[in-house]
This record gives sequence, C-alpha cells and structure tokens, in this order.
Amino acid sequence: MFDCSHVKIAAGAVVCVESDIRGDVTIGARTVVHPKARIIAEAGPIVIGEGNLIEEQALIINSFPENILPDAEDIEPKTMSIGFNNVFEVGCVSQALKIGDNNVIESKAEVGRSVILSSGCIVGACCAVNTCEVIPENTVIYGSECLRRVQTERPQPQTLQLDFLMKILPNYHHLKKTVKASSTPARS
Amino acid sequence: MATLLQPEKVLYLVRGEKKIRVPLSQLYFCRYCSELRSLECVSHEVDSHFCPSCLENMPSAEAKLKKNRCANCFDCPCCMHTLSTRATNIPAPLPDDPTKTTMKKAYYLACGFCRWTSRDVGMADKSVASGGWQEPENPHTQRINKLIEYYQQLAQREKLERDRKKLARRRPFMPQAFSQHTIHVVEKYGLGTRLQRQRSGAPISALYGLSLKEGEDQKEITIEPAQALDEVEPLPEDYYTRPVNLPEVTTLRQRLLQPDFQPAGASQLHPRHKHLLMKRSLRCRKCEHNLSKPEFNPTSIKFKIQLVAVSYIPEVRIMSIPNLRHMKESQVLLTLTNPVENITHVSLYTCEEEDPDDINSTAKVLVPSKELVLAGKDAAAEYDELAEPQGFQDDPDVVTFRKSNKIGFFIKVIPQREEGDVTVAFKLRHDFRNLAAPIRNTEEVEATSEAIWLTHHVELSLGPLAT
Repeated sequence: MFDCSHVKIAAGAVVCVESDIRGDVTIGARTVVHPKARIIAEAGPIVIGEGNLIEEQALIINSFPENILPDAEDIEPKTMSIGFNNVFEVGCVSQALKIGDNNVIESKAEVGRSVILSSGCIVGACCAVNTCEVIPENTVIYGSECLRRVQTERPQPQTLQLDFLMKILPNYHHLKKTVKASSTPARS
Repeated sequence: MATLLQPEKVLYLVRGEKKIRVPLSQLYFCRYCSELRSLECVSHEVDSHFCPSCLENMPSAEAKLKKNRCANCFDCPCCMHTLSTRATNIPAPLPDDPTKTTMKKAYYLACGFCRWTSRDVGMADKSVASGGWQEPENPHTQRINKLIEYYQQLAQREKLERDRKKLARRRPFMPQAFSQHTIHVVEKYGLGTRLQRQRSGAPISALYGLSLKEGEDQKEITIEPAQALDEVEPLPEDYYTRPVNLPEVTTLRQRLLQPDFQPAGASQLHPRHKHLLMKRSLRCRKCEHNLSKPEFNPTSIKFKIQLVAVSYIPEVRIMSIPNLRHMKESQVLLTLTNPVENITHVSLYTCEEEDPDDINSTAKVLVPSKELVLAGKDAAAEYDELAEPQGFQDDPDVVTFRKSNKIGFFIKVIPQREEGDVTVAFKLRHDFRNLAAPIRNTEEVEATSEAIWLTHHVELSLGPLAT
C-alpha cells in the first residue's frame, strides 16, 4: 500500500483544508484546489503541475485498474502526471494517467485511465471518454454523443480566475501548509 | 410506478375528419360544439413571429422580408446553438500616431457548447459589438431572382385565366410544400401571403388569392434556359488515395442547414442568422371559435383563450396494474379526476360487439355498472386541513378512495390473447354544463345552464402480460 500521505504543496499554491488529498501527491505553484476537491493517489503518486484549477467535487484519482486486486502481486506504481494550466471543473472525474497542458475537463465529465490528453483539449460537460487513445491537440469533445471537432486555438489559460481565487480563497478558508523549497536549518 | 402516469397510456378518441387517438393533455375542447378537437381538426393561424434568443417581436411583413430570420442573433454552424459575442483587447495603432499602440476592443462570435469561434472560418474580428456580421452572399442570387420573377408572372397569368373561366370547383390538388396545418398561405412561388380561413372540406387551390395591383402593366420577362455543359471539372488525382481529414468533413446536418452553399469542409461553415419562431392560435373549423390564443408578448407564456380538454373533461389515469394473465380476471386500479367546479356524474360502459371504434382492444373489460359521482374541484381545498368528509355513499368494491375531486376505482380485465400488450377500451359518459352557451332570453332571471351528456371513447394500454 502506498499510503505515505506525503502531500508536497509548492509555495504559491492555494489548497483549501477541506479538500481531500491522500497518498503521494505533489502540487505545483499557482495551483488552486477548491474545498471538497478530491485528489487520491492509491496506486501510485500524482504529480500536478503549475497553474491548474481544480474545482469543487472534482475527483483526480490514480486507482488500480478494475481487474487487479490491490493485494495481488507487486504492481509497479504508475505516476499520474498533470501538466500546467489545466482546468478541472466541478464534479469531473479524471483517471487519465497523463494530462498535458491547457486542457479543460468540463463539469461532470469522465476521463478514463487509458486516455492520454495532449494539449488544448476540451472534454465537454457530461462527456465520458473511456477509449484507449491519445486525444490529438486542440480537440473538443462535446454533445451527448461525444462528437469531436478540432478548434484552431487552444483554450486560454485562466490567469484572471486564478489570480482572483488566490486572493479571495484565503479570506474564507484555511489553507494547507505549503512546503518551502529550501528548508531553513532547525534552530537549536 | 411513474411510468403508469405517463399520458400516452390513456388515449381518447377524437371523431374528426380522421379518427385520432391522443392523450387528453394534447386535446382541445370546443365548448360551442361540445366536442373534442385535436391538432389535426383545427385550423392554425400565425399570431406573431419572435426570435427565441433575443425575444424580439417582429411583424409578419418584416419577418417575410428578412426571410424569417432574426437580425441580431446567430446560430453556430457546427452545433446549432446560439452564438454569443465575446470581446478581446487587441493592441491597435492610434490613427494619429502610428508608433504608439492602444488597446482596442475586438469582437468575435463564439459558441459556448462546441467552442466554435468565428475565427475558425477566417472571419475577421469586428470593432462593433452587433451589426457588423454579414452572411456570405449567394453567388446565384441574381439568377434565382430572375427565375422567381418569371414564374411569378406565369402564375399571375394562370390566375387571370382561371378567374375568367370562373371555376366553381377548385382544384383538389394540395401542393406538398404547404403544410395542412398552416393557413398562412404562401401562394405559388411566394408572391405574397394572405391570411385565409381554411373552410372545412374545401382544399386550398395552389394559385388562389394572388395579389395583383389592378391595371399594372405586365412586362414580358424572358429568361434564358439553363445551359447544359458538356465538360465537367475532373476530380483531383488523389481523390481516391488522399486520407480523409475527419474533423474537416461536415456532417449532413451541418451541410443542409446552409442549402445555399452546402460546404463540404468545416472551414467554410459560416454562421447564419437565427430562425424566428411563431406563436399560433387555433380555431375550430366547424364553428370558427378560437380554441387557443396566446398572448402577443413573446416573454409571456399565458393564454388569452385556452380551451384545453383537461379543464373540461374528466381524466382517467392508471394507478396500479396487477399481474395480468391470459384469460384470468384481474383488477386494475384507475383514477378519475374532475376538472370543473361542479359535481360531475360519470358512468362507464363497455364497448358493444362490432363497435367501429373498438379496434385495438385485446382484452375484455368489466366496468362498474353504477354511476360514479365526482366532487367539484375546490381550489381552496388543499389549504383546508379540516376538510369535511364528503357525503358520498361509495360502494367499497368499486371505489377504493376519494380525495377532493378524485376517486380511485377498479375495473376488471380479462386478457384474451396469449401474447402482446393488453389494451382495453370503454366508453366514458359524463355530464357537462356549458357555461359558454348564450344566455337565452327567457323570463327567468337566472339562466341555469343545462347539462348535456357527452360520451368519449377511452383506450388504456396496460402493458405486457406477466410471464
């Protein structure tokens, strides 16, 4: 069991205390994690880059594949890596092992474990993507039938929103402690 | 259980020009003829046009001029959602001083659903928020207009000849393009529109009612016939070998929404103005009274006149169905609701043998023989907790419960077929007090409304047999 409870939060990230983070999780700078977001690293560590926005009730989980028991033979822990400037909207579920940059996973969307999101992809609201493929850049998945189209430009990074949240959230929520990059020597 | 409440389970028969079986919620009731009417036996008239997104009202003439499209709102060519205008700040050189740049606002159209933007098809950002967007011009407009003029002239000539002959009988041919429902008649080739009453039994002639200013000189318009080309542009050489770029190919729906161009590539899909919707009013064909007249204001959902069947006819709903077995009698629980404020007496009858209306039933039904009495609908009853028990003597074998204007009662069903769905039919007879009847000039000061008895044919679909 990889239950180190090692949560490394970089300086500059805003992670609310009410969020549920378990396992070996690294969160980059300028990332905002809303209360009630859940980041669960069961079957391996999760590395989250910078400038991401993880909204309420979003679930980022690195779980065991369904047909493998957790106590079975030693399975090599796979690291889930998430790039920068991604947006995980309210209520989405992301199990994808590799997510690039500037992606948007809209509300209540589900991304399966075998999907690899490159850059600039938008998974529309309530769309479930469970295929085993690499989604090409700048793809938009929308509609009840998960239609796809390619857009000409990537979605803009949510810098305004991130700045606003980093100012406002500490006024209303307690934050988890960040780990300084260089540790000061302990005073005797 | 909620599936039993679906209105499609209980159908009422409408005896109009065609016999139609529809749930009561989709029917209208003409209280002058005292008959049920469905959408097919009423005439539809257009009241007003409005845009569904900006809710702007438009008179019919203006709507026709703009080809029934809104001037301000656009539809996404990709997913047909409404486009919204977004603004960005772009640096632009000042007109006075080319070296300094200032932030100017640039507007582009974007779809919130599929993330399509006007920049995808190469449309430049506009500097005004609205009114800057143009639809692309159809290259064949001139030829089409010329053809239309020519055919309009032909149509006028035909009409004059017809009037001269003074035909008593109109041609029974009803062109396919004209919906039966609309009486907003667009004459042949769209000369003009005239509101017409569609009299029952008299089909509209295709050329009736062309408007022609009297004494107008008719120029002879000639057109060149279309020329057939011998040589067609050959296909590109790699047509069969080039891999298809799927995101670039337009779907049929996207293509056909723009019949002018029908682009095959997604980079040529331009947005179009949004279609207008219309409010319509319904009129009984026999007595010409209005059955449904909505308010003129597009933001209002109320009706000026609303003669819907659910407010006049008692409604039957299925409450519970036991396991139905072949040739075994089971009891089905139904509810009857009284929509009017006075007491209603309802009796049910089984359909006789060889009833021409009874074509769908697959089971025998035994209905209660006694008359059922329904209390009037009391709007204040739901707030009155100390409701006095209604003094009705109910046979407990037939009536299971009674609650203000609703009762539950049993019918016995014997499925006759071994397979398939069980459908039963019976006749519902109730008294109806016509408050709309004109007050006759009698010596009595109070005109008591008389009760007439109406009979409806009701069909219930009870689902499959229990295995």
